[in-house]
Amino acid sequence: MLIDRCAHASPWRRISPAAKGLFALAALLGAYLAPSPGLALGLALGLVLLTLAGARVPLPDYLGAAAPALGFLALGCASLLFSLGGPGGLAPRFLPEALDPAARLGARSLAALAALLFLVLSTPLPHLIALLRQLRCPEVLLDLMVLCYRMLFVFATVFRDGRTAQAARLGHAGARRSLRSLGLLAAGLLPQVWLRALELHQAALLRLGDGPLRFLAPSFPRARQELAWAAAGSLGLLLGLGVLA
Amino acid sequence: MSGEALLRFAAVCQRYEDGSRGLEECSLSIRPGSRNALLGPNGAGKTTLLLHGVGLLRPARGQVEFQGRPLDYGRAGLRQLRQRVGLVFQNPERQLLSASVYEDISFGPLNLGLPEAQVRQRVEAALGAVGLADCRERAVHQLSFGQKKRVCIAGVLAMEPELLLLDEPLAGLDGPMRREFEALLEQLAGQGITILLSTHDVDFAYRWADDLHLLAEGRCLASFPARELPRQQALLAAAGQALPAVLGLHRRLADLGLLPDEPPRSLDALLAALDGAAPDLKRNPA
Repeated sequence: MLIDRCAHASPWRRISPAAKGLFALAALLGAYLAPSPGLALGLALGLVLLTLAGARVPLPDYLGAAAPALGFLALGCASLLFSLGGPGGLAPRFLPEALDPAARLGARSLAALAALLFLVLSTPLPHLIALLRQLRCPEVLLDLMVLCYRMLFVFATVFRDGRTAQAARLGHAGARRSLRSLGLLAAGLLPQVWLRALELHQAALLRLGDGPLRFLAPSFPRARQELAWAAAGSLGLLLGLGVLA
Repeated sequence: MSGEALLRFAAVCQRYEDGSRGLEECSLSIRPGSRNALLGPNGAGKTTLLLHGVGLLRPARGQVEFQGRPLDYGRAGLRQLRQRVGLVFQNPERQLLSASVYEDISFGPLNLGLPEAQVRQRVEAALGAVGLADCRERAVHQLSFGQKKRVCIAGVLAMEPELLLLDEPLAGLDGPMRREFEALLEQLAGQGITILLSTHDVDFAYRWADDLHLLAEGRCLASFPARELPRQQALLAAAGQALPAVLGLHRRLADLGLLPDEPPRSLDALLAALDGAAPDLKRNPA
């Protein structure tokens, strides 16, 4: 929800998703090819600044969107740096020889994360799906993406309403009741999923949609220029990394 | 209500799989270019009737006809029908397939096989018609309930149907939204689109519709021009509907000799009639 809100609020949502996708791809490649952790961190910092200043994503929202991935990354680096077991029993043991690989992995991952966040925080998902459609992604995958994205918000609303109704009748007074109420809510959602699937199928049929779900994305009148700018920026980024290396 | 019907239900019977009644010998006709309101209590069969109108349900007995021909329930027949008849569900969440306003409206015209330029033209026209031109870039989950309903209508309008079926379009709308919606309905009817809608709002139905259809327990009790409603009070009561407020008020004022016997269709019309009678009232206040 946070990512979706940022993407729809960003002034860069009007920029061609192909241009932003190309630049993000170049940044991902740069993260992978960065010869040193320092350069990868520099790239990550540049991308973060670009997203905050250019795409106008508020810092708290950025940190909120990055937090889960940063948590996984911290866990991954810690598992490289520390070992459990050995002569000291189960106490964690620091591995100095893992410092280098952990720094490389951490810095590259941060840069890759920043590249992806740049793309998703400035591009609404329907635009990304439209881009994937242009790139000839299989229709069935696109249909699933469209429906999952739509249903995510429908069921978030149903879940929130159900939870509020339970709370209003003391369904969440205490841990045991709360657990029971959540179970009831989850069980209640299942038939609703089936019903909603049937209803959406009927709705699609009424508008002659008996095949793949086809939509027309908004047009981006300056897409060519933006793509050219993105290509130049991508080339500059990769060349810059090469020179600094 | 003479002349060839655009849509006709001829003694349609249908039961749902759980045994509950859908329609029972239900017969009614919709004239081309007319504004029609279905009135009836919950469970009367209003939604079921609308689903039959687009071939989503099939009668067990009786038949549904479009332009004098029985519906063809084959794939090609239904495709042809749904190019000409559009249905807007009561709950917009049931109808919106895409999370993007622009994309969702484009869904129908794309399925008609129209070229991209024409689809874009139709989407823009539909957005303009429902007053959502500024929302084209927004996600549907960011819209209000009323705006979602408008997106649903735009999605159907973009297919340029001849007959528009609306299931309780005013349900859940606040006062200003209802007024906007009524203006939209007025505009659509003005474009020559035949409209059939279900509603519980007898005041609105009397004010807006050309023809009223009263449903109860799966049957159509009566169809008549809306202007005849003052003379159909018994049928109205049988369909579980109250008399429009304006008629009660008019009756009292007419009994007092303040207004002529011809009843107005809306409070605005009644106020205008009172204003017209005001000079007389001033001359003869008693």
